[in-house]
Amino acid sequence: MKYAIQAEGINKTYGKYQALTNVSIDIPEGKIFGLLGPNGAGKTTFIRILNQIIEPDNGLIKFYGNPLQRSHVEDIGYLPEERGLYKKMKVGEQCVYLAQMKGMKEKEALTELKMWFEKFEIQAWWDKKVEDLSKGMAQKIQFITTVVHKPKLLILDEPFSGFDPINSELIHNEMLRLRDEGTTIVLSTHDMGSVESLCDNIALINRSQVILSGSVAEVRNSFRTKTYTLKFEGTLLEFTIALGARFELMSNELKNDIHTVTVRIKPQYKLNDLLTQVIPAVDIISAEEKVPSMHDIFVQSVLSFNEAQA
Amino acid sequence: MSKIGLIIKREYTTRIRKKSFIIMTILGPLLFAGLLFGTIWITLNDQQSYTVLISDPYGLITEYQGEQDSTLVPRFPDLFRNNDQVIYGFTEKTQKPEGLKDGFYNIMIELDEITINDGKCNMYFKNFPSDNIQRKLKNDVQESLERFRVIDSLKLDYEKYKRAKIDVSFAEININKLGEEDHTQERAVIGFVFAILIYMFIFMYGVQVMRGVLEEKTNRIVEVMVSSVKPFQLMMGKVVGIGLVGLTQFLVWVILSAVLATIGLNYFESHLVNGAAVLENGAVVGNGMNQAAMAQSLMNNEAINWIFLINWPLMVGMFIFFFIGGFLLYASLFAAIGAAVDSDSDTQQFMLPVTLPLVFSYIVSAMLITNPESPIGNFFSIFPLTSPITIMVKTAIGNISVWHLISAMAALVVAFLFFIWLGGKIYRVGILSYGKKVSYKDLWKWIRQKN
Repeated sequence: MKYAIQAEGINKTYGKYQALTNVSIDIPEGKIFGLLGPNGAGKTTFIRILNQIIEPDNGLIKFYGNPLQRSHVEDIGYLPEERGLYKKMKVGEQCVYLAQMKGMKEKEALTELKMWFEKFEIQAWWDKKVEDLSKGMAQKIQFITTVVHKPKLLILDEPFSGFDPINSELIHNEMLRLRDEGTTIVLSTHDMGSVESLCDNIALINRSQVILSGSVAEVRNSFRTKTYTLKFEGTLLEFTIALGARFELMSNELKNDIHTVTVRIKPQYKLNDLLTQVIPAVDIISAEEKVPSMHDIFVQSVLSFNEAQA
Repeated sequence: MSKIGLIIKREYTTRIRKKSFIIMTILGPLLFAGLLFGTIWITLNDQQSYTVLISDPYGLITEYQGEQDSTLVPRFPDLFRNNDQVIYGFTEKTQKPEGLKDGFYNIMIELDEITINDGKCNMYFKNFPSDNIQRKLKNDVQESLERFRVIDSLKLDYEKYKRAKIDVSFAEININKLGEEDHTQERAVIGFVFAILIYMFIFMYGVQVMRGVLEEKTNRIVEVMVSSVKPFQLMMGKVVGIGLVGLTQFLVWVILSAVLATIGLNYFESHLVNGAAVLENGAVVGNGMNQAAMAQSLMNNEAINWIFLINWPLMVGMFIFFFIGGFLLYASLFAAIGAAVDSDSDTQQFMLPVTLPLVFSYIVSAMLITNPESPIGNFFSIFPLTSPITIMVKTAIGNISVWHLISAMAALVVAFLFFIWLGGKIYRVGILSYGKKVSYKDLWKWIRQKN
């Protein structure tokens, strides 16, 4: 697999405070990578190191196979969580300026920006002053200025915060499109829904360390607990008797004469064994594995890590 | 264009286009000229007239004229002449000052028995008279008393006495520059004007740098910017851009002021002759026109002559060098302050140590006017935090060695490199630190912190 970013053994301290401890993260090329973690875990520090805003105390970072260097800032697009624009400038002027900061020529920037403004249907804003824009409008401009120079690596820190559902959808789709065109995207967010719908891989940082990483499928797989949700008609008593000692009833609920139960199966058994056991007793309507959500995985990992440390 | 060039361009163009800048740049010299010429105009055109009652119960300056003590008149009729603005009346009775309130007279001058000895008399007034009017009144009373004493007590001929009187004045000549008058103090004043200009410039635009940095920080645009350029580039771009705005404003001011001064002087030269005539007519009897002509020749020759004693090429060179050097030094400190705090109100605690040397150098410069050779001036015109302001006075006076200048310049260069480095260190960490009230201890930590 090719990697956009290979970070190895990154440490960063601020005085006595340890912001990153031996962090190693590989970000595959052309994928959307979720950078997760509670507030203050070290995500922003890691992102700032990728952007060369700050330097790590030690460790090595490779950008598309080469050691990260100054000229790479032009291949990176960065949308910080706390983002802003120069209020007194006109929208168009501002966009051209920020594009030039990323190494674009003025003409080239104008052409690209015109394209984006048309796409987002905001041509009319070009000569407006930034201070006259609404928050949502400013967010669109910020997104455009982040991607206009066609960066190979796009780093988005909470890109959806403050957006209404329509604009969130717009950004969501743009991210997928950019990924399909080959852009690598690092998405830092607390919104686990968007992680599930967008990310191919994740890393979870907690208390300055990476405590979990891998592809979303792998991670979720590793958190499977062999728990199934069954729906059936019949009596709970007969169902429970049929379960026996090999299967554990976790919860049950009765609605419109239909029972919904969750059952955990001991490691050596399969769903088939469970079904064989209960089919004679009740009428099964559906059976489905209960896969842990990213939300559950996040909470469970962080809490158990913190408990272990305490 | 390089990125730092783009930053400078943005800082420069957005500020130059601001309404407040355009207004200040055009209005500044107009306001200043208006204030200056307005004051002169008002002084010259003070048309209010005063009725002045001289109460002289002891007959010091008045006497009765004609048969049977008919009217009280001045003892010396060439004094106390009425003119457009002053009408005199005389009385030998002591008048109650309250009587003035509803009476015909605005002013009463009261001479008592000791006035002839100590020259003190009371002036009661309804409206306080202008300087010119006061001068005329004083002059009339004084000369009248003087003549009375000379003729009456000393039994001398007043004309002879006048010829015996002599005014002493010093022509200041530096033994190193024999053959020319020195005019140290006048030159110091010119230097002080330049010192004030640098002081104002550093303050006004230094604070703008601070505000600009703070704005970028509170706007949160700064994180996007430093993902494209190094913090140091961003800081220097801002400092240089704003410095250029200041230079532009200064240049426009110089040109506009020069134009206005030429127009104003032409206008006033014609009016000043009349004005001077009015003024002198009142004060000195007889040779009014001569006085005016003299005043004008004084203006044309004497004043301009000593101005040429200043080494102007050196002065302008020094001005530009210390103007830029001083600004770079202080602007980096102001930038560091802007980066360290979260809001305008938090800047105060860090402003003091930066403004203190500025204000101090202003005070030292003012002091140099009265005491140009002071050793304190020598020190503070080399010490880089004060030299950009103080050195202007020293240069204008001209009592400054080449070595002094070179060490001052060298010290300034070293200092501004140091302070840019120091400011950059604080700036770099400060722009990304939010929400915490920063102390001096934190600043020290930031300075030592690795990138």
